[in-house]
Amino acid sequence: MSDVSLAVAQTRYSVKGYLRDPSALVFTIIMPVVLLLLFNAIFHGNTLFDGIHVKSAAYYTASIIAYTIMLNGFGSLVIRIATDREAGQLKRYRGTPMPSWVYLFAEIGRSVVTIVVTSGVLLAVGALFYGVTVSGHMVVGLVVYVVVGTACFAALGLALARACPTTDSASAVGPFSTVVLAFLSGVFIPVAIMPAWLLDIGKVFPLEHLARGLQLAFLVPGSTGLTGTNLAVLVAWGAVGLLVAIRTFRWEPLAAGAC
Amino acid sequence: MDCASRTATWSGSTASTSRYAARRFSGSSGRTNGAGKTTTIEILEGYRPRNAGDVSVLGVDPAHPNRAWRNRIGLVLQECELSPHYTVRETLSMFSRYFESPTDVEAVVALVGLVDKAGDRVAQLSGGQKRRLDVGLGLVGDPELLFLDEPTTGLDPSARREMWEMMEGLRDAGKTILLTTHYMDEAEHLADRIIILRQGEIVAQGTSGELRDSLGDVTHIAFRVRTDARLDLLGMEADISAHLDGVLVRIASKSVQADLGRVLHWADGQALELADLEVVRPTLDDVFVELAEAPPEEVRGQ
Repeated sequence: MSDVSLAVAQTRYSVKGYLRDPSALVFTIIMPVVLLLLFNAIFHGNTLFDGIHVKSAAYYTASIIAYTIMLNGFGSLVIRIATDREAGQLKRYRGTPMPSWVYLFAEIGRSVVTIVVTSGVLLAVGALFYGVTVSGHMVVGLVVYVVVGTACFAALGLALARACPTTDSASAVGPFSTVVLAFLSGVFIPVAIMPAWLLDIGKVFPLEHLARGLQLAFLVPGSTGLTGTNLAVLVAWGAVGLLVAIRTFRWEPLAAGAC
Repeated sequence: MDCASRTATWSGSTASTSRYAARRFSGSSGRTNGAGKTTTIEILEGYRPRNAGDVSVLGVDPAHPNRAWRNRIGLVLQECELSPHYTVRETLSMFSRYFESPTDVEAVVALVGLVDKAGDRVAQLSGGQKRRLDVGLGLVGDPELLFLDEPTTGLDPSARREMWEMMEGLRDAGKTILLTTHYMDEAEHLADRIIILRQGEIVAQGTSGELRDSLGDVTHIAFRVRTDARLDLLGMEADISAHLDGVLVRIASKSVQADLGRVLHWADGQALELADLEVVRPTLDDVFVELAEAPPEEVRGQ
């Protein structure tokens, strides 16, 4: 069996485990859909975006997709790695001839699968129930941002995994940072009613740029939303995350508190 | 497997051993935690760096584990959980893909005694069954050398007995196994060759018989007789203690066969009935206690 087909088999194995884990399904798919329904109920009608009136439903469909990318690509990836490492699974894998990258490929692949499925569900809910119009430009932007955003957050997830010695700490840090950044990035609250200084803080982090890029693609007719700034910030954060991960990633269980 | 004057420092513990070669089934035993078993085995498994000495496992230095070498060894680690969402068969099948020439998964299922559980998820297995699946994962790559790190720790007596039967099966199938254990009866029952570590040093090694012999002459012949027996005619030095129904006699014997003959001859001559007659060899636990309690400088020579 070639390493590539092994990586594919390992990914299928990981996805199979995911489908058998009800709490993971709730956390990664159902929660974003419920958030979309809730925000559409609370902020229905129009909102201001870059000085123009846009549909709240389109704004939130784009924003919650960005949130989903961070939640699955980063938050749940950190938790899975911390869990597998704490349980000794990573150490066990390390003791087999399986190349290390196969495991990482499979776990990131599982995140990609959940992101694609959840984004598709969110887009379908937006289009069917809230009249969000789907255009070619928008789909191009969506695909590119899903790829670049997932890569960025997965790299950051691998980097953060070192700082979370246990499942418990990863379960706190991963989702918590996702929620905080979601507030700072105009994902949960429309940018029109956010204090400027909070948004300025949010602009330092990658979620703001992912959300803004998707909002542009969904809200500005004829735009893919692919701007140099947004993509550059995502790539830069991803590169930093990758470098940190390469230098600090650990396969053996970490003693609690040994950050 | 050779270890030449290996010294490893890891988290403050120092391990150094003299050269040893593993036979078919070796047991490495330390009564107390911190004896150096896991440090030693993890150096051999390629998990830990050592700070001095030469180590060779299947001709490869485990400090630089490569894929070809990983294909030849099987590991059963301590404290390693499995994902609860997969069945026994799925778990073994996935692991079998990591290896170049794996064993047939169904054969491994049978070997570790999980045929009835092959379709069950790991979450449904008992502790002993999970541990046997661990062993199955160590075996699925058809390794030349299998490391078993405390495979029965924490198991109840019947699960432990089942694990023993499984390990006996592996031994009879010709697998080379390095087993670590806290339990001397386990080492004695399963191992062809036993190495006892204390604070990371080999304090004794050999077959179970050799280890017992290393204690010197402590085999006893023991029996009970009537209080009016003529022990003076026995002509042997004996420990005598009064007992509810007679006298308990214990004779330290250097030559059990000859001494036993003399005892039986004496008893026949006196028309005595020897109750509870037994020849008591020191157990490996006795060896162990002796080694564990002796100061290091006394045991080093063994």
